[in-house]
Amino acid sequence: MSSAIAADGLSKTFRVKVRDSGVAGALRALVRPRYRDVHAVRDVTFRIDPGEIVAFLGPNGAGKTTTLKMLAGLLYPTTGRVEVTGFVPWTGGPDFKRRIALVLGNRQQLVWDLPPEETFQLNRAIYDIPDAAYRERLAELVALLELGDVMQKPVRQLSLGERMKCELAAALLHHPPILFLDEPTLGLDVTAQEAIRRFLTQYRERHGATVLLTSHYMQDVTALASRVLIINRGRLLYDGALAALVARIARTKRIELVLGDGVTTGEALATFGAVKSFRFPNAVLEVPRDEAAATSARLLAALPIADLSIQDPPIEDVIRQAFTHGIEEDA
Amino acid sequence: MTWRRRYGALIRNAWLVDLQYRASIVLWIIWGVMEPTIALGIWWTIAGDGAVGGYARADFARYFFALMLVNQLTIAWDSWYLDGWIRGGELNYRLARPLHPAHEAVAENLAYKARSAGTILVVWLLVALVWPAVRLPLEPGRWALTALAVLLAAAMRFFISFTTGLLAFWTTRATAIMELHGGVSLFLAGRIAPLALLPPVVGNVAGLLWFPYMLAFPVELLTGAAHGPRALLARFAGQVVWLAVWVGAYRLAWSRGLRRYGAVGG
Repeated sequence: MSSAIAADGLSKTFRVKVRDSGVAGALRALVRPRYRDVHAVRDVTFRIDPGEIVAFLGPNGAGKTTTLKMLAGLLYPTTGRVEVTGFVPWTGGPDFKRRIALVLGNRQQLVWDLPPEETFQLNRAIYDIPDAAYRERLAELVALLELGDVMQKPVRQLSLGERMKCELAAALLHHPPILFLDEPTLGLDVTAQEAIRRFLTQYRERHGATVLLTSHYMQDVTALASRVLIINRGRLLYDGALAALVARIARTKRIELVLGDGVTTGEALATFGAVKSFRFPNAVLEVPRDEAAATSARLLAALPIADLSIQDPPIEDVIRQAFTHGIEEDA
Repeated sequence: MTWRRRYGALIRNAWLVDLQYRASIVLWIIWGVMEPTIALGIWWTIAGDGAVGGYARADFARYFFALMLVNQLTIAWDSWYLDGWIRGGELNYRLARPLHPAHEAVAENLAYKARSAGTILVVWLLVALVWPAVRLPLEPGRWALTALAVLLAAAMRFFISFTTGLLAFWTTRATAIMELHGGVSLFLAGRIAPLALLPPVVGNVAGLLWFPYMLAFPVELLTGAAHGPRALLARFAGQVVWLAVWVGAYRLAWSRGLRRYGAVGG
């Protein structure tokens, strides 16, 4: 099976003007401009199969969005090769652009002063969508995204969540097989985030689209992505399943307890592992990963315990650890 | 069909947005009327009962009314749009669509021109009813040639504005450059006075550049000041050559600019 998205040795270096502060600095920059190279993406290689949902993770400035923009054909890479559905993005022209959707969380294509339906109509014309197909797809998107109430309101009067839903609808009317989503849930409340996640899952199930998304919200990643790409300072640190990453990095497990009567302080638990929290009857212990099962057995034997569960550490902690300490050395 | 539908949708959206900003549209049209009206007032006073550089009062009146109309038919605001798109990151989604962003700019131009030139044409017709000086003879041949010259001038001004806007790929001062161009065109394109009134040296310099072809020539063609097959042919040739130069500049700026583009923002 050929890849939907393939990046080989992808790098992007920006040349940035360096300017000292103050008027003197501005004048110096005018007379003798100085530049420095910023390596936004360095030698990134990966492949994504058709129908996969892959999440791009990394701190701000890691190179996620730059990579996404290169894949969408907005930016020319400094070196490296990219192929998306068989096209080289920056030379693919309209045929390539009909096969992708690019949704940028904080830059919207909706016409601000008009109801969203006007943008949908415009996209129908731009993407040359036949009338019957347009009506059918719009009805589907309106139903999945619950847009019935907002179609007639000017975009400027919509909430952030409503705008993002409309943004997704505008981007998907032409039924692209490839979706590039940059922070699709940025700034949304929990309900709106869940609605977007539910929609993306349903859309992908129905149409088999390949999705590459960036997000700061781990819930997006755990709910949507079967695979993660972790990038930091422009370099790809990890490419694989989230569960495998946790197993590789996390040295500890969390034992979550509901205690029975008689254990009123955390001291009794301290001999079994690090007490992360204690609020009777709930307590959380952290223990070495390979000792979790044995420690649990000892706890059950020694203390009155109503309930016990063994969990991986929060995914945010694992990712933070990956960014801070890297992945190989923690393996 | 595809293109008619695309342009139809783009122009429709531009007009729908305009309807949200009625007051500012009225102000822009007033501005479009004010500049030539003030210039006419000045030359009207200077000319008195005689003539300046071959222009009597009635000639000035015809010239500036024609200028008002031709200016609205050829004006282009694209450098301001593009500067915002490039520096604000709004070019991103436009680049991801299967439609070159220039088409949206052209459609905006058509929407604006139909609205403002239409208004000015109505104003002109009303004024012409009561003031014979601004009436133009009905000569279909001249009107047809003027239409061609206006089309070439509009295309040239579009490419000048679009290309200057593309300088935002390199500098944060693209609109300042366009302002400078506008300032120079005040004199060299015939906005403040007919070119025949410029000092000969300035007139000669203007003749070497594109400015007269973007405004003064179609105005003079409409008023009858430009005539004679040889002279008209030479000036049409000038329009075509300068249009080709600006199209070339646009192509260069677009391809180089995209390679340089940082796609700022999300």
